[in-house]
Amino acid sequence: MVLSALILMGAAGREIAGDERPSLEAQTSALREKISTLEREQDFLLFQKAMYSTDSKYLILNFARRTGQLKYKTRVLMDFRFKTPGKYPGRGPQMGMLVLSKKKEGKDDQHTLAFGRSFIMQWKQTVVPAEESGIPAISLQKKDMLSIYYALEEGALAYVIH
Amino acid sequence: MYSSHPRVFACLSVSLVLSLLVAFEAFSISWAGTTSLPPSIEELRSQVAALQQQTADLEEENRGLRRYLAAQEDSHMYIVVDTESNRLLLRRGNIVLRTAVCGTGSRHFIESETGTNWFFETPMGSFTVLGKERNPVWIRPDWSYVEENMPVPAENDPDRLVRGVLGKYALLLGNGYKIHGTKWTNLLGTHFTHGCISLGDDDLEIVYKSARIGTKVYLY
Repeated sequence: MVLSALILMGAAGREIAGDERPSLEAQTSALREKISTLEREQDFLLFQKAMYSTDSKYLILNFARRTGQLKYKTRVLMDFRFKTPGKYPGRGPQMGMLVLSKKKEGKDDQHTLAFGRSFIMQWKQTVVPAEESGIPAISLQKKDMLSIYYALEEGALAYVIH
Repeated sequence: MYSSHPRVFACLSVSLVLSLLVAFEAFSISWAGTTSLPPSIEELRSQVAALQQQTADLEEENRGLRRYLAAQEDSHMYIVVDTESNRLLLRRGNIVLRTAVCGTGSRHFIESETGTNWFFETPMGSFTVLGKERNPVWIRPDWSYVEENMPVPAENDPDRLVRGVLGKYALLLGNGYKIHGTKWTNLLGTHFTHGCISLGDDDLEIVYKSARIGTKVYLY
């Protein structure tokens, strides 16, 4: 009798816990996702905070809208649009900060700006330098590309958002 | 002998149940020791509480950062000059109030017989409107004479004062650099000036009337 009572009590306890588990697991998963979003947002906010007090121009690139801004401190210097290649892996480069790793002067003003292996910026999609083949290229209008090319130095920062 | 059977049976049954309980407990302990074991309800509850706290902390930090960034921004009008494409923008934050075609430094180099040289480039960086002039007078600098192979007059020579060539208005940026008008309107959109920023009459009037002393000018 005692044994049966104990077994029944245990079973009842497990049943209550079993009911709560899916809800707790769902909450955990939702909270982790929210934290990840908030951390990404914080990273961008901290980037802006740093750039507001830095004496250098920088880019904000919105890959969802395919628009960009050249900025200096709080001020927008230039708005531009860009095209991404059809076969761009995923939605574009990962959200976050990138460094302008290389400025390369091309023939007939076909200059390029490389942001590591993430992507290169150019104004004509057909002229990917051999050593940069395989790196996705985003293309801008010539006028915009040249303005950005001369406005930024190697080491300048860009921030990718989606 | 037969009468003892029920007792033996009872003893065996109790032993069997006890053995099963011990085995079950041992299995439970060994299962709890592995990583694949799902967390207990208590662990899940405390995990949720910790994640809720972390979420609240992050939300508060982000609110603070957004407030800080908003406080840094202002709603003042400012001027941007793109010296590569020869465009001047009158902006307020994300809004472009006016786009104008302008002229900027020719990037030419000249040298006088005495060895003094000049490079006609529009300076880059952050500037401030330091003064505003109506009907500005151009004080011809030395290079203007050198450029035309003319003898350079004395510093205070009245011949240096020229009226009308800078248009109706000028915004002074310091070190002799200005945003002013030009009679060479056909060259707007190219690099043709000696370093100043030239505008057509209509654009100049709007830029002049919109700008205040202290207005920021960004040249890149």
